[in-house]
Amino acid sequence: MSTNRSDLTDDTSEGVSNSDTTDDTLVEVNGLKTYYEDQTLFGGEPVKAVDGVDLTINSGETLGLVGESGCGKTTFGRTLVQLEDVTAGTIEYDGVDVTTLGRGELKQWRRNAQMVFQDPNSSLNDRMTVGEIIREPLDAHNWKTGQDRIEHVQELLETVGLTEEHYYRYPHQFSGGQRQRISIARSLALEPDFLVLDEPVSALDASVQAKILNLLMDLQDKYGLTYLFIAHDLSVVRHVCDRVAVMYLGKIMERGPTEDLFTDPSNPYTKSLLSAIPRADPSVEIDRIMLRGTPPSPRDPPAGCSFSTRCPMKIRPDDYEQLSENAWVAIDVFGDILQARSRSDRTVKERARELLGLKTRFASAEDISSEVFGDVEMPPSVQQEVDATIELLESGDITEAIDTFYAAFGSVCDEDTPTEHRIGQKDHVSRCHRHKTEYSDPEPVLHRTESGGD
Amino acid sequence: MTTEPPVAEVEPPLLSVENLSVTFHTDKESIHATSGLDFEIERGETVGVVGESGSGKSVTARALMGLLESTGELGAESSIKFRDESTIDRLVDDYPNAVGRGDGSSEDGTFVIDRDDGNRYVDLAKAPDQAVNQIRGSGIAMVFQDPLTSLNPVYTVGNQIKEALRIHREIRGQEATEVAIELLEDVGIPDPARRMREYPHQFSGGMRQRAIIAMTLACDPELLICDEPTTALDVTIQAQILELLQELQAERDLAILFITHDMGVIAEVADRVGVMYAGEIVEKAPVGSLFESPAHPYTRGLMSSIPSRNLDSDRLETLEGEVPTPHESPHDCRFAPRCPEAFDACHETHPNAIPIEGNADHTASCLLYPEDIQTEKAVARHTRPEERDQTETGDDTT
Amino acid sequence: MNQDTETQSTTGNALDAVRANPRPVAVWGAVAALLLLPELGAVLASVAEAVAILVSLIPGDPGAALVTDIQRAVGDIPTLLSRETIPNRGYYDGSQWQGTFAGLEPRDAWLLRAVLIYTYALLVFWWVVVGYRWFRSNYRVSDWTPFDDMLDRFRTHRWGHFGLLVVVLFLILVVFAPSLSTTTVDQNIVDPYSHEISYYDHEVESVEQTTVGTANRESQSTGEENIGPWTYDDYGRFHPFGTLPSGKDLFTFIAAGARVSLVIGLVAIGLAGLIAVSLALLSAYYQGLVDLAVVLSSDSIQGLPSLLILLLLSVLLSDTWIGGIYSGGFVLALIYGAISWPFLWRALRGPALQTAGEEWVDAARNFGQAPHTIMRKHILPYIAGYLLVYGSMSLGGAIISIAGLSFLGLGIDAPTPEWGRAVNAGQEYVASESWHISLIPGVLITLLVTGFNALGDGIRDAIDPQSDTDSGTESAATGGGA
Repeated sequence: MSTNRSDLTDDTSEGVSNSDTTDDTLVEVNGLKTYYEDQTLFGGEPVKAVDGVDLTINSGETLGLVGESGCGKTTFGRTLVQLEDVTAGTIEYDGVDVTTLGRGELKQWRRNAQMVFQDPNSSLNDRMTVGEIIREPLDAHNWKTGQDRIEHVQELLETVGLTEEHYYRYPHQFSGGQRQRISIARSLALEPDFLVLDEPVSALDASVQAKILNLLMDLQDKYGLTYLFIAHDLSVVRHVCDRVAVMYLGKIMERGPTEDLFTDPSNPYTKSLLSAIPRADPSVEIDRIMLRGTPPSPRDPPAGCSFSTRCPMKIRPDDYEQLSENAWVAIDVFGDILQARSRSDRTVKERARELLGLKTRFASAEDISSEVFGDVEMPPSVQQEVDATIELLESGDITEAIDTFYAAFGSVCDEDTPTEHRIGQKDHVSRCHRHKTEYSDPEPVLHRTESGGD
Repeated sequence: MTTEPPVAEVEPPLLSVENLSVTFHTDKESIHATSGLDFEIERGETVGVVGESGSGKSVTARALMGLLESTGELGAESSIKFRDESTIDRLVDDYPNAVGRGDGSSEDGTFVIDRDDGNRYVDLAKAPDQAVNQIRGSGIAMVFQDPLTSLNPVYTVGNQIKEALRIHREIRGQEATEVAIELLEDVGIPDPARRMREYPHQFSGGMRQRAIIAMTLACDPELLICDEPTTALDVTIQAQILELLQELQAERDLAILFITHDMGVIAEVADRVGVMYAGEIVEKAPVGSLFESPAHPYTRGLMSSIPSRNLDSDRLETLEGEVPTPHESPHDCRFAPRCPEAFDACHETHPNAIPIEGNADHTASCLLYPEDIQTEKAVARHTRPEERDQTETGDDTT
Repeated sequence: MNQDTETQSTTGNALDAVRANPRPVAVWGAVAALLLLPELGAVLASVAEAVAILVSLIPGDPGAALVTDIQRAVGDIPTLLSRETIPNRGYYDGSQWQGTFAGLEPRDAWLLRAVLIYTYALLVFWWVVVGYRWFRSNYRVSDWTPFDDMLDRFRTHRWGHFGLLVVVLFLILVVFAPSLSTTTVDQNIVDPYSHEISYYDHEVESVEQTTVGTANRESQSTGEENIGPWTYDDYGRFHPFGTLPSGKDLFTFIAAGARVSLVIGLVAIGLAGLIAVSLALLSAYYQGLVDLAVVLSSDSIQGLPSLLILLLLSVLLSDTWIGGIYSGGFVLALIYGAISWPFLWRALRGPALQTAGEEWVDAARNFGQAPHTIMRKHILPYIAGYLLVYGSMSLGGAIISIAGLSFLGLGIDAPTPEWGRAVNAGQEYVASESWHISLIPGVLITLLVTGFNALGDGIRDAIDPQSDTDSGTESAATGGGA
């Protein structure tokens, strides 16, 4: 159930972003949503880990999925291999919708798609020998005969760079890199076509990372595998992946061929992410885009664009376009504080105090005014709005305060979720309102933040 | 007419580590986690230490702070000289019996050296636990890798900052609260008055690390040791924390010892870098020279396995083998088994730190250097220390 | 890493290894057979008794006659260390011992037999350990397993050794109870008036016959008259622990009671453990509603007044066939197990949940492993250690509870011997000459339970690899912190 097919506007009239489905397409994901319900009986909002993702993965390619912690990339990977239940959307593997498979069919299907986990220390059962670990998938599926299984396992051990004698050793006796090799061997036991690699090298040292990456690339050549490579380390992704998708708070912000994305990113989030990577070259001057604050909680994503709370290129309302950069920065910080306060847990005592109209730690609003706005000059209309908001804050009515604030200073970024816009000719899309014709592109606006500063 | 040559006042470095050797003794074996480390940190500069796991960099940091596990001990020859005036003054008052002149007639038990020529220092390697406790936090402070476990989950963040203030600066009550709020503001935490009363689990990872930095600043230290402070953080948050550290360094003239395995981060924050392997410093250089012309084969190997520096190659070059765990003091080159340029002498002779191309700032512990002379003579430099002192003159009479 | 010896196969199984190097197996097997042979009868007799109990559980009691026949046949097999081989017989006719075994008076004969039995048992135990070591060095294909580390850690655990020693000695007492006792339970305790003994009557200076019951009546320990520990009574019988107020031999009572205590303890904890493990695995794997349901039931059961339930149910079931086993002891054990599983479950739930969150469980689900196999292979090994620890401590608790109930007169009835009943019988004489009646069983109970706890401690420390927690230093370095 894809919600995006009809929403695409713009340049090319042909097709929808997701039907670059060719015969080569191995995995096609449409409108995928994975929500975690709260475990408690009186649960609040569910955690929207994956919130509407469309992707295709072509046979034989390596698709990178990057994002920071909490963006939902691991959940997405797990949902693809059916370790998590899908809340909405479809996953089509070779034309078959995996989410509708029955138990027996699902078990059969599992032979096609396997996952390599992040932490080599906890992805192997220490009480089993290496041979038993790699062999277990074969046993679970009743694969050929016992002797065949042993030989197969020994072949796999050689393929990943270990030796036959290691069959009887325990994982404890190996280093991190070797354990990851064992993990890879296990995932190859059933001869799958598709591997989800969940941060396979993040827990390893730099030199060991290189070896494992080389191994993965060799295996891909040898067996014709398709990879979904999930990582937070962008430099590794650039080296290994053919195409990359960037994820933020459960949504794909930008997706396209690796080199295009890295040399000329279109989405503000991608730009910020790339500029934040430390360069291994001290002579280079970095134009770093500093993001403010922290990512919002997936339990309570912002209305509108999920990146709106931190975006350095956020669209501003026309009325106040002439405001100075410093003033805007102060307003943005104020907005952050409002959001943070509204999400903060309140103890029972505080709730009682609020009900009684007494002051709690949330009500000291005059401090905010001086702290945030301090010596910034603001025209009276702006000051008026700010004061009104602060008044509402002091009286304890956070929701009203937020509404007032966004009514005055919000824009389309705070109200509408942007759709995916096609960039260029290849399969390159970016999710940002600025790609619409009525707004200026992100790139020039970048300079506005540089002259400002935090 | 004689003119006296101007006496250049070279200020001694804030921290000099000499021959630091840390050994862990267990029933089964001894592990020489570090062997003969020599390095210095000047006031206001950032020294980076880079190495993989097993290189001994975290052990070094803990040894400086006196936080080694009970099975670890410092070598008898090791010394950690800390030269902060206020700290030394305080120690001279508190431990009058431990003050010496450092002129060879040193009595056992002295760890504060108070000289007339201004070279005063306290030797942390020889100081008793009590003295180190005093210095820890106020002279030297440390930021650890995992912000979640560095903060006590059952006390509010404000409470923990105020405790640090109470212990080291003896500030209490309302004054402490105000100072704490200021500190939280300094590290960039918005709405600090409210945040003071919140618990660590209500902070995000980056915020927690900022709160910890605020705690370390509470006592106005001279040296901040950061042990992989951003490894557990996202890249955008890491950028924020690195920027924060640079700001604080500029404001407070803070010296920073930054330990990490990430070469990119080192390139950004460090002024000078030491590369560690198996408990020894194998190369020391200003950050520009290190990246431009790495001298030691290990450093070169590290550089070639960084994906971002090797975009053109399909396969990343790798080093065979793994970092060894040293069980005895070094008598050969520990990197030799993995070195692509090793030769016979490497397995017998322990390399010393040799300046590269006559530049004393950039040294490498490798038998390949000095490069400009024949191999045997070069090796001889490593075995006969007295000849090493004659490098500049080119006087290599054997 | 050990170098593989040539006899160790790298690809095959243990059978190949045995074929390659048969000598150690042959040697061990020969000695083991030699050791087993003398006591074969006793071993079979114990097995037969266990089978008899199980058979009697089946309603209608089928094959009872067959079982009794088997027991009798087995009982006829001569065993080396039985009471017949080294009998503690004989009498003192005023000037010297007559009719004794090898010239040893009954006391020494009994002591000899006891020492021999214990030595033999410890020898067997040691030979088994040797067998394991030979297996490990010669035949086991892996040159290291996690179990080896556990053994190493246990090897230096003194308190655990103490516990192990106590438990081993206790087990030997249980297994060899009939042989260790000076007389049989049947003869002395259950049915004394159906048996006769001969004794030397000093008054008439000749050997006479009398029933055991009569003899018992004359050998009571009731404060004024007393047969204390390590003494002979008037009938020439030796009592290592003295006699009860009823005149029955205390040592025989305790030896048999050990058996009863152990069986009850094992049944109770075995049942509780089985329920606890199954529920822990289910709640850890499925979580959600399943976990909630188990939590609710466990809390409900813990909320029941356990003493009342025990009494109520044991009284209700006392007339049934199941209530007849061990005079109500078996029923008590079952009920005790059924109401004490919540404690064990709660102890296992944490580790089980933690293990279920590990990535290897996810990996197993990923390749389609069946849930019950995941629970058995990937979660169970990690909670088995905890089960052993809490189980062994609970075993002590079960024994003490049942003994306590018997002491109160509410648990096991006469004539089944049970340590708590002995304590009960002697409670009024504690301050008198007959202090031994309460004190000896009391001390033994304490020692036994302490031993089980110590063993549990040892196992717990052995299965948990030592972890260095340096958390205190981290806040110290930042300059304070709470």
